[in-house]
Amino acid sequence: MRVNWLGLLSSFVLLWGTAFADETCMSPYMAKIVGQEDFVYVWTLGMPGVGDEQDKLATVDVNPRSGTYGQVVDALSVGGRNEAHHSGFTDDRRYLWASGLDTSRIFIFDVHSNPAKPRLHKTIDDFVRQSGGVVGPHTSYALPGRMLITGLSNNRDHGGRTGMVEYTNGGDYIATHWMPIDGDLRGAVKGGRHADGYGYDARALPRRNVLVTSSFTGWNNYMMDLGQMMADAEAMKRFGNTVVVWDLHARQPKKVLDVPGAPLEIRCAWGAKNDYCFTSTALTSEIWLIYEDDDGEWQAKAVADIGDASKIPLPVDISIGADDQVLWVNTWNDGKTRLFDISDPHAPTQLLERRIGEQVNMVSQSWDGRRLYFTSSLLSNWDKKTGDADLQYFKLYTWDGEALQHRFTLDFIAEGLGAPHQMRFGAYALYGLSPLVKVAQR
Amino acid sequence: MRGKAVLLAAALALVAAAPSLSGQATHAHPKPEVLAPGYGPLEFEPPLPGSYALPPLGRAADGDLLDGRGRATQLHQLLGGRIAVLSFIYTTCSDINGCPLATHVLRGVQDRLLDAPSLHGQVRLISLSFDPERDTPSVLARYGGYFKAPGFDWRFLTTRSQAELAPVLDAYGQWVIRDPDEGALSHLLRVYLIDREKRIRNIYSVSFLHADTLLNDIRTLLME
Repeated sequence: MRVNWLGLLSSFVLLWGTAFADETCMSPYMAKIVGQEDFVYVWTLGMPGVGDEQDKLATVDVNPRSGTYGQVVDALSVGGRNEAHHSGFTDDRRYLWASGLDTSRIFIFDVHSNPAKPRLHKTIDDFVRQSGGVVGPHTSYALPGRMLITGLSNNRDHGGRTGMVEYTNGGDYIATHWMPIDGDLRGAVKGGRHADGYGYDARALPRRNVLVTSSFTGWNNYMMDLGQMMADAEAMKRFGNTVVVWDLHARQPKKVLDVPGAPLEIRCAWGAKNDYCFTSTALTSEIWLIYEDDDGEWQAKAVADIGDASKIPLPVDISIGADDQVLWVNTWNDGKTRLFDISDPHAPTQLLERRIGEQVNMVSQSWDGRRLYFTSSLLSNWDKKTGDADLQYFKLYTWDGEALQHRFTLDFIAEGLGAPHQMRFGAYALYGLSPLVKVAQR
Repeated sequence: MRGKAVLLAAALALVAAAPSLSGQATHAHPKPEVLAPGYGPLEFEPPLPGSYALPPLGRAADGDLLDGRGRATQLHQLLGGRIAVLSFIYTTCSDINGCPLATHVLRGVQDRLLDAPSLHGQVRLISLSFDPERDTPSVLARYGGYFKAPGFDWRFLTTRSQAELAPVLDAYGQWVIRDPDEGALSHLLRVYLIDREKRIRNIYSVSFLHADTLLNDIRTLLME
């Protein structure tokens, strides 16, 4: 069958941008799907008593024109539980790197040979040794021809001091970049009181030669039972309070900014002149702006509250619109999503508040902002074990600019899959394929 | 411009130009509203040469090539001894932020090297086509004539066939989608910096490619 190959390609572009939105939150070095995505790849934690109990990459068909729309069309188990958490594509979008926070293993999936059925291409089992002691690979962020992996911890005390690790796209170790810490600032200056050496997320603004990193907590905390940790005053002191601005080209830390309360996901603006990024603080429930001021100096300031901080809503994932006008913010403890108007990044205002479901965590939006996907799981030892029936779910909503419309829910426990975490989008057109010819043409 | 030479290159569009790319009748690229950074002055103060490390990213692969006169050569014969900047292009590429960007930046590197006598003879530029059917040695020689300064060491190379090209592209991770019916190409723009020991030391894509940073990286390698 002859394929309208060029027509297929009209649904995606390969962008060079200055920043990002899940389709809008990834590396600016990467191809973007601007039309209808065909699949969502869900990196899923194995749960005792659920299915094969293993971590797995679940592939959900999300194209309404497909006969299997709204169904899990593939589940690829990886042979155990690793504390599956985040994932990210290589810059050519042919491979998806997905890591485990507990075992520090990284699973590299081939998603281009058959986008409907990913294949495990390679596993990195010696991340800790290769990196010189980094533990808990978190964000997999595409740079040209290579991957930057942020860590959460280290193998000496399993606390929060950590680093970033670079690999080639082929999975060969390149270098480790330790986070600046008091006593070893690595050339950085402190903008405030803290230089804790903690890590979490990373995003780049290549036009400004800037890499921005955030800070969470170490293995001792993220693998601890949530109730036990909350009752442990010393443990609660061991959360990150910093955002670091790096020289992207040199991979050298330039400035350590105080952002107290565990700043998590970083989302940078896409606009060519929008030299800023957002993050949210888990413990203090605030939106923070990381921005370049009129003097060219990078600064951080709290710009909005997320709910009532005294009730500990616990902000988790955030997602910026491709037009830099809106920011979706999920709060895990109350199961809500909130939409903020960020047209003035220095003064976001809340537009909407809506309950999605128990322990909502991740949110990923399509490039046009019309489809929002939500998943539930945070960490295996933090997730709620009782409560609503739909404790572990994948949900699709559509957004028309005024209201969220629920489209479908997949119960990941009923499906025998586990606890769904990060989502990444797939499309046949990225690889010159169509659902009709699939791999046969290759 | 060849009508069917539609390229969806890495650079294709900024956000403003993103909503659609089309393979419409004209097969023309949408004109990007913003040119790649490599066309303008660098918007930041780059780190000084030698102040940072460029760890090796693996060995630069070999391959069977044809030079501008149609003579067989090996890529490895052109690597080693000198620092090399290797760019994959094709001459009918019509996207201003695609292959033309790479050639523009390499010409900028050439100009800067010509202005730096101490660097003469230390660097070789290589533009390798991934379209052997259309980019014959004579086509490439003519194309190169537009950009290459007299006497400067800038090689414009091709291959005999897709069969000889494929392992080179695979080895460098330079992925290309080919339309089997129309010959169109889609690829991710990549330029490779290769040291005197034939190791890849940096990889540049469209938002990262600029003559100033590339020259600083060359100086960094020369300071080792």
